[in-house]
Amino acid sequence: MNRAGRKLGQLASRLLLIAFILIASFPIYWMFNTSLATDSELFGSGQKFVPQLQRLNEVPQNLAEIEILKLLGNSAFIATGVTVLSFILAVMAAYALSRFKFHGKGISGFFLFSTQMMPEALLVVPLFALFAGFGLLNDLTGLVLANTAFTMPVAVFIMKTAIDKIPYEIEESAKVDGCSPYGQLGMIVIPLILPSLAAAAVINFFDGWNEFLFANSFITDQDLWPASVGLAQFMGQYSTPLSTVMAAALVFTLPAIAFFLLVQRQIISGLTAGAVKG
Amino acid sequence: MARQKSVVLAGTASSESPKKRGLSTTGLLPYLFISPALAYLAVFVLVPLARGVQLSFTDTRLINPTGGKSVGVDNYTNLLADDRFLNSLFVTITYTAAVVIFSLLLGTATAVLINKPFRGRTLARAILTFPYATPNVAVALIFIWMYNQSSGVFNQSIAVLGFGQVGWLEDPRYGMAAVVVATLWKVTPFVMLVMLAALQSVPDELYEATRVDGADGVSTFRAIVLPHLMPTIRLLALLMTIWSIRRFEIIYLLTGGGPVESTNTLVINIYQQAFNQQKLGVAAAIGVLGLLLSLVVTVVFFVVDRRATRKESQ
Repeated sequence: MNRAGRKLGQLASRLLLIAFILIASFPIYWMFNTSLATDSELFGSGQKFVPQLQRLNEVPQNLAEIEILKLLGNSAFIATGVTVLSFILAVMAAYALSRFKFHGKGISGFFLFSTQMMPEALLVVPLFALFAGFGLLNDLTGLVLANTAFTMPVAVFIMKTAIDKIPYEIEESAKVDGCSPYGQLGMIVIPLILPSLAAAAVINFFDGWNEFLFANSFITDQDLWPASVGLAQFMGQYSTPLSTVMAAALVFTLPAIAFFLLVQRQIISGLTAGAVKG
Repeated sequence: MARQKSVVLAGTASSESPKKRGLSTTGLLPYLFISPALAYLAVFVLVPLARGVQLSFTDTRLINPTGGKSVGVDNYTNLLADDRFLNSLFVTITYTAAVVIFSLLLGTATAVLINKPFRGRTLARAILTFPYATPNVAVALIFIWMYNQSSGVFNQSIAVLGFGQVGWLEDPRYGMAAVVVATLWKVTPFVMLVMLAALQSVPDELYEATRVDGADGVSTFRAIVLPHLMPTIRLLALLMTIWSIRRFEIIYLLTGGGPVESTNTLVINIYQQAFNQQKLGVAAAIGVLGLLLSLVVTVVFFVVDRRATRKESQ
């Protein structure tokens, strides 16, 4: 290929990449931009392309009016519960799948994977009936329990991939020193896979943080709404200005983006474990 | 080729290296470790699933979730004769096909573009990942606003070019496209990240060999890189398919299944039957059929993957 052609190709691919970057970032930018506009601009004179930064100091007051801290607090409660419960269950399961051969191992792995194809909407109905019997509707604990079933298997995949990479000899020498299997897991394996554990914790936390379906179906008490349900309810309500909804959506989004960037490598390797081994 | 490429879903197959073979071990110990997780899933997935299957044979209503009586297979036979159900099956397949095809194409293209080192690459990759980390509800809300018929940024922009207002979420001709675009914005970065990992595992010698042969970029990609990526592409196709069949928030919040049921996927249909029409039995029957669809896709995937892997390793 001649030199001019190659230059042209390079330029085209650079422009395409810039276009993709603009597309990826525009909606986030627009959320920010909208959060600084007034309803009369948005629905009347037209939204300006440049954010009205002088309104930035009004945002905290607007957010306080929709009790954003209560909404985020409920989300954080669900997310923390999901993370802790998933961690305890997943770290042991991942250890078993990585380190032992046993009857039913294949089927256990498939059982874990099968949760990935289960539509939550299918389980909403029977869980609704089940939770109604146990008084777990209108209870954040019920949301922790329901969501952990879907987040924990993902944590297992991430942790198993990490444990697979640790040489077994390290545990073997501890075993000779009289260390119990739980001791080997707790004192040797866990410290060695901390980055992957952090990744699993982050992904589980934000699965809980983002949860909408179960909360929308089980929670009727407004004081228990997580931010996801609160935001969806505020959207299109004329009593809440759109700028406030968008500011809240941004506050809800930014922690998820920040933490995801920190641990994306481990997340990808866990979710696709084994797919990329050429 | 000594190392055979294959798609192994984590935990579903043995990926042990030879040196770990010593551990076939010790009776109950592995079960002690794995049983809490399995018991948990039994209680919160299997039991509700069994209850769901049982509900699907009853006429249970939302107001009295424990009081339905058996109606045999009526829910299923009614569904299979119901235009609304058949439409939602068709909508699910359309939506899934569009999301799978376009997310794979766009995600792969982005991964290829960002695979070569250049200044600012880390930052570019970080920005390209934003959408994947954005919560579904936030994705839905910003797209609802951008699609707004009178004041949204899309219609404001095309107005400059002289076009009239389009009802992206109100017009049955555009509802599906609007939902697919919002979904693609969210999920394509996942494809990009996974494809990028796969691209970086292509050994440098492969590129070198073709460069010596004087092959240009495109034919190098097709002859050398693409076969190397096939297992990853197949896995991504599976994940994107079953995730699309499951997807709820974005569709529910953007269109709620409308306009005129043009985006009424099975999952949205389940939710409406259960919580709007209060027919838990019918909703459960749709759910069972949806799960069967996912199962069929997964089985087909494993068959195709096994066959392709055998062919590639010959």
